[in-house]
Parts: sequence; C-alpha cells; structure tokens
Amino acid sequence: MSAHDHHLDGHLPHEPEKATLEGRNKILGFWLFLGAETVLFGTLFAAFIALRHQTLDGPTADHLFELPMVFAATMILLVSSLASVFAVQALHQHKVKPMIVWLIVTILLGLGFLGLEIYEFNTYVSEGHKFRTSAFSSSFYTLVGFHGAHVAFGVLWIGLLIAQIFKKGLTVVTAPKIYVSAIYWHFIDVVWVFIFTVVYLMGKVG
Amino acid sequence: MASDHAVSSDPKRRHRHEGPQKHIVAFVLSLALTIIAFAAVAAGEINMTFTYIILVAMALLQVFVQLAFWMHLKDRGHLFATMGIVFGIIVVFTMVIMALYWVWW
Amino acid sequence: MKEDAALAAHAHTVKRYRGLMDWLTTVDHKKIGILYLIAGGLFFLVGGLEAILIRIQLIKPMNNFVGADTFNQLITMHGTTMIFLAAMPMLFALMNAVIPLQIGARDVAFPFLNSLGFWTFFAGGVLLNISWFAGDIPDAGWTSYVPLAGPTYAGGHGVDYYLMGLQIAGIGTLLGGINFMATIINMRAPGMSFMRMPMFTWAIFITSALIVFAFPVLTVGLVALTFDRLFQANFFETGNGGNTVLWEHVFWVFGHPEVYILILPAFGVISEVISAFSRKRLFGYSSMVFATVLIAFLGFMVWAHHMFTTGLGPVANGLFSIATMLIAVPTGVKIFNWLFTLWGGSISFTSASLFAIGFIPTFVMGGVTGVMLAVAPADFQYHDTYFVVAHFHYVIVGGLIFGIFSGLHYWWPKMFGRILNEKLGKATFWTFFIGFHLTFFIQHFLGLIGMPRRVWTYLPGQGFDTMNAVSTVGAFLMGIGTIIFIINVIVSAANKKPVANDPWEDGRSLEWSIPSPPPEYNFKQLPLVRSYDAWWNEKQKGNAEMPPAEPVGPIHMPSPSILPLIMSIGLFAAALGFMYHHTIIGIVGIVITFACMFTRSVFDDHGFHIEPEEQEKGVHA
Repeated sequence: MSAHDHHLDGHLPHEPEKATLEGRNKILGFWLFLGAETVLFGTLFAAFIALRHQTLDGPTADHLFELPMVFAATMILLVSSLASVFAVQALHQHKVKPMIVWLIVTILLGLGFLGLEIYEFNTYVSEGHKFRTSAFSSSFYTLVGFHGAHVAFGVLWIGLLIAQIFKKGLTVVTAPKIYVSAIYWHFIDVVWVFIFTVVYLMGKVG
Repeated sequence: MASDHAVSSDPKRRHRHEGPQKHIVAFVLSLALTIIAFAAVAAGEINMTFTYIILVAMALLQVFVQLAFWMHLKDRGHLFATMGIVFGIIVVFTMVIMALYWVWW
Repeated sequence: MKEDAALAAHAHTVKRYRGLMDWLTTVDHKKIGILYLIAGGLFFLVGGLEAILIRIQLIKPMNNFVGADTFNQLITMHGTTMIFLAAMPMLFALMNAVIPLQIGARDVAFPFLNSLGFWTFFAGGVLLNISWFAGDIPDAGWTSYVPLAGPTYAGGHGVDYYLMGLQIAGIGTLLGGINFMATIINMRAPGMSFMRMPMFTWAIFITSALIVFAFPVLTVGLVALTFDRLFQANFFETGNGGNTVLWEHVFWVFGHPEVYILILPAFGVISEVISAFSRKRLFGYSSMVFATVLIAFLGFMVWAHHMFTTGLGPVANGLFSIATMLIAVPTGVKIFNWLFTLWGGSISFTSASLFAIGFIPTFVMGGVTGVMLAVAPADFQYHDTYFVVAHFHYVIVGGLIFGIFSGLHYWWPKMFGRILNEKLGKATFWTFFIGFHLTFFIQHFLGLIGMPRRVWTYLPGQGFDTMNAVSTVGAFLMGIGTIIFIINVIVSAANKKPVANDPWEDGRSLEWSIPSPPPEYNFKQLPLVRSYDAWWNEKQKGNAEMPPAEPVGPIHMPSPSILPLIMSIGLFAAALGFMYHHTIIGIVGIVITFACMFTRSVFDDHGFHIEPEEQEKGVHA
C-alpha cells in the first residue's frame, strides 16, 4: 500500500499544483486547451486581417483608434498579468494571504480593463462604428469582443477561486486551479499583445 | 508513478524558491517592447514597411518573453505544452498567409 | 489513484447508481464508449436512410420521388450526419473502449469531461435532427457555402440548426481530443515509452492533436456565419465588404484535417487487426509512427485543394497541388507496411480481418483518385461531378467505415463480453463490400462523363441512366449488410457463454490481458510494460499475466455525475432560444450551463474506493 504521504511534515509539497496526478493532468490539459485557443484566436485574427480594409461608409481604423487609451488598457492588462505572477509565487511559498491579495489585484485590474473597453466601444458606436456597419466592424468587434469576453470569464473564474481558497484553504486540490487560472490570465495578455499590434497599431499605420 | 513522488517529497532536495527577479525582468522587457511599438507608430514618420517590421518583431519578442518566463515554458516538464503552442502558431501562420494573399484578388 | 490515501480517510457516502441513472451519470470510459457506439450507430442508420432516399430519387432520370428542395436537405443532412454524428462518434466509441486499456490505465485523464463530451455530442446531434420535425432543414450542403447559407438565400432556420448543432457537438469533440492527448501523455503504464505504444494508441494520439488544432477553426467559422445570420454581421455579406471565399478557406482549413481525423483511427485499427490475425509483429513500426505524424502535419497544408476552381491563381493552386500529392507518400508507406505484415504471416480470415484486408485495395483506389484530383488543372474537369463523390466515398466508406466494422468485430468481445457470430459477420462483410463497390465504383464514370453532383435529377439520354440504377442497387445492398450486422448484435447478445480475456488467442496488446469485459477499474494492479506488443511478449515468455507495477490496494475511482447531461441540456436550450430569437430561453440555457460549471468547480469530487475484497469478487462496470 503506497505510503507516499505528502503531508510528512504537515506542510504542502514544494509545487502543490504538480503534486498529484490530477494536478499534472489539469495543467497539461489546460496547455492543450490553450493550443486550441491559439488556433481559435488565430482564425479570428485571420478573418480580421482579411477584412480590415472593408470599412464601407464607416470610420476607418486610423480615424477611430486613440493610441493613449489603447496604451492605458495595455498597461492595465500587463500589470494585472504581473500581479498573477506574484500570486503564483506566493502559492509556491505557501503564503496564502499574499496570494489572495495578488489575485484580487489581478481581477480588479481586469475589471478596469473591461471598463475601459466598454467605454471605448461606446465611443466607437457613437461615431458610427457599429457591429453591423461593415465587414471591418463585424470582425473588429468579434475579435476584440471575444478577447474581452475571455477577460470577463477570467475575472469571474478567479473571483470564484478566491472564494474557494477562503473556504477550503490552499491544498493539493485547490493549488492546480489557481495555477491554471494564472496561466489562462497570462494567455489572454499574450493575445492582447497581438490585438494591440495587429488591430490598433497596424490600423493606425494603414 | 513512483518516480514522480521522489521529486516532490524527498526531504533531502533543497527547495530553491527562485525569487521574482526573472519575472520582473520579463515585465520590464514587456513594458519596453510595448513602448517601442507604440512609439514607432506615434512617431508617424517611419516608413510603413519598416514600421510593420518593428511592430511584428516587438510583438513576437514580447510573446516569447511572456511564454518563456511568465508561463514557464522554458522550465522542465513543459515539452508537450511547448509543442502544443508551437503547432498552434504554425497553423495560425498558414491562416495569416491565407488571409493576406488568398482572400482578395 | 493510490496516492490520494489521505483523502480516503474522509468518510463520504459512496454514490453508486444502477440501471438508467447509471448510464446517465457514468464517467467510466467503457460505458461512455458504449454510449457513443449506440448513439453513433443510431445516427448511422439515420444517415443511411437519407442515403437510400437520395439513391431512390436518382435511380431514374426525371424522377420525382422527392423534390429539389428535399433533395438538397437530404444531401446536406446525409453528409453532416454521417461525418459528425455517425463516423466520429463511432471512432470515439473505439477510442474510449480501447485506449485506457491499451496503455494500462484505469480511465482517461478527465472522466467528467469525457462524459460531458458525449452528452454535448448527443445534444448537438439531436438538435441537428430536430430540424426534420421543425420543417426547417439545413439545405446548403454539409459544407454550407455562402452566400447560399447566408441570411439572404437561406432565410429560414434550416442553416441555423446546422450551425448550432455542429457548434455544440464540436465542443464535445474538442474536449475529447484534449482528454485523449492528456491521457496518452500522462497515464501510460510504467515502462510504456512512446515507442512501445500500440499503433492504435499512436493513431488516436495524433488524431487527438488534429482535433485540438482543427476544431477551433470550425468554431470560428460557425460563429461568424451565425453572427451574419442572427445579428446582421458582415463577415460574408459581399454588399457590406464581406468575402465569401473567406468562408471556404476557414471551412476547409478545418475540413481537410477533419478527414484525417476520420481516417487515422481507421489506419490504427487496420494495424492492430492485420497484425493480430497474421500472428505477426507489425512491419515497420517506426516508419508507421513517422508516416502518421507526417500525414497529420501535411494535412494542415493542403486545404485549398478543395478550392482549385475559386480563382486563387496558379501559384496557390500549384503549391496546394504538390502538397496534396506529397501526402500520398507516407500513406503509401503505411500500405506497404500492412502488406509486408501480412506477407509470411499465419493469416486467419475472420470478420474483423476480412474488413481490414478489404480495406487495403479499397482505400488505395480512393487514394489514387485523390492524387488525380490533386492535379489542379484536371480538377477543373472533376470538380462538382460524381468523380469527387466516388473518391471521397471510397476513402471514407471504404476506408473509415470498413475500419470501424473491423474494429467493432475485433474489440466487441472486450467491450461487451460477447463474440459476434462469425457467419453473420462474414455475411455482413460480403454484402456490404459488394454493395459498396457496386454503388461507388460506377460513380467514377458518371463523373467522368459529366454528371454533376448535388443536383436532384438528370435528363434522360445522356448515358447516366443505367449507371445510376446500378448504383442505387448497390446502396440497397449496403443497407442489407448493415441490417445483418444489427441482427448479429442482437443474436450474439443472447449467447451468454463467458468470453475469455484473450478470445482471439493472438492478442498482442494490454487490453487482452484482462477480463472481457474488464472490471470497473480495468487493472487490479497497473502492469509493468517491458516491450512493444507487451502482452504478446509476456505470453512468449510463458507468463499467464502481465507483471504488476504496484501492489494490490484500494483503487480510487471518480464519482458519477448528472452535471454533464444537464449542461448539455442547457446548451441545447440556449441554442434553440437564440435561433428563434427567444432571448430569455437563450439566457436561461446559458445560465444552466454556467451553474453546472460553477457547481463542478465548487464541490470537489472525492471519488470512492474499491477495496481489495471487492476486487477479488470482480466488480463489473
């Protein structure tokens, strides 16, 4: 009978998220899911790239996009990604309170990003750039909106995980969930790097 | 999986908690690459092709930094994760070629 | 998982269901495999009926058995049902039934997601087929090209059923792909390196990778067309800057890997069956693995060979033409490896091996017409004729379906503890085989003399009449072959004689080292693998069992759950709600789905344990 008890000294193992087979499966499975998400966003990007000049009577990218606001959104998301790095560091050091604090910072910044994006979309709509305006607009809102939806889902998910940590503490069962949500959060920041480059910056260039 | 237990519960193994240094370096790099990209566009006077090259290069570098450091792809045990992301990128690359050259003519 | 001994100390009530609830809540891969088989089999009959109706309409010129609109609906539903709701699920059935056993594991990496994958597939399939009762049936072909499938020319809800049905079913498939990749990477028995895995496992591993990278492309395409139809988006609305060729690109970037998703598992089955029934090690294992990887990789580089006539230009056509022909090379390697396995072997002709041996020339015929089609200028003549129809039925039916029949006959005893009757099995083979060639061989010529596809009738006196009539007769023969198989299933179910662990006596891989059917936990002790063809080699050494890799002990099992079923119902309701612009119902459906996800996250599954005493009694799934 296997006696490999990870609670030898009452403490969590070094990397609690990888301590169980289920944890390792969850992490691997999530990476494979991210491979699928890469292709998903890639297809949305391809569609956007194909349709980026089809603005019809609507405003063009150059006309619409305000670089300062996009830069602000980028900074918010980048810092939130850093916050989740610190959360995982705290997880590895088994420091539950700092971990929770950093997770809260992450989702607050995420909410800030979303708020800015909603404001941004509202501005565009009032300038005549609606979902139905043109092929460019449909693909723009679908691509950037999908990303925003992913941010929103991440905020809800991490919020739920924070609640779970309060209730169950940091264990070999809850640790993989936190780890995987941090990988997810980094991923949506990586996608944003491509969005601000391909959609906003290249849109400005022409 | 007896071998997997040995790594995490062997008390003789020193648990080196690597500090946040590498991650902060990654943050600063990401910041710098972002600023360069925005600056290249805001400056407005750079030749368009060259601007595109800068933008693509900055984006790819930043993605590489974030994947390798913040998402641990450079650490051991991430072979399949890396292959997954790489293959995804290959598929995306073919689709971007499609979108650029084979949709309008 | 024995390492969760600490959790075992928690006293928790063991939830074990019986009867219908057992099947509705199971997370056991063996039961899920059977569910996939039943559902896939039912949809196969639906698709087969649609095929028969198509062939009846085409039996003579100017026939009016069904009208043009119904004909378009029939061809759309036949293709969509057969590919997504029959072929893929039956492959998933074999994957689920066999893979964990072949790698020496107790279940897949994510048993809950496995169940979710099945129920979402089933919900999507039901949703698609409800269209028949709603009177609003998809009719734009299984490829759903725009603008025909767009809001202007497909104004009703038909195409919406296609989009929603596939979207939901696609979720299940993607989850399955992730599941099997993680399972094969992380859960192989000790000693089973990648190059010691059975060929079927390799095939499924690579197929799962294809699924993971191809299905999201379809997801986006379906979303884009859904947005065009429901929310007046302009992805494909040319008047507003959209582009119809974009749909074709997106669909086929998915669609071509999809056909490799269909055929690679069949290749895996053929490798297993031919090796077992030649009593000989598979020839050229490493080259088989390499060839399969190459086919999968190249499969993502050839999609535009479905678009030669759209006007991409000579450079694109040339590139895709050559890339397509390249795939014939690794495929040829596999064919020769199978032939060399047979050569010098001690061959027994069972139902399983007949289907496998019949597969070889049939698939080769389909493959060579594929190379003909790959020649872009020639394709301008073949495109949209019955030549293409003949080609893909040769590779899909002659390849995939023969492979499925072979795999079913081979693994039936392991799945059900019953052996299919050999006489009926041979009758199935010959009827189906002859019927198949009668139906589709002649269609090559119909295509070459100019009969267009997807048209509900034809004028007399063009030389089409006799050939079409013969083709229809063949279709009926295939139907009879299918019915004989169903009779076989029923007849052998009644024969309660216990089946040996290794009923074919020539089993080479791990699944033949455990009872038929296996106990709920598969292996009392995870086996130690010391070579490729591990079970065969232990038998050669004179061992009656696999050497164990761990001591006997309590086995941790995942708990059953009703959540996958409820989640799928939620998605089903949401799809119908949004399709018919009943936003409330749509939102309620989404809320149900999210509530299930929430529940699953918050309430941890501690599972339950099967103690050694129960293991001695032999707990059956």
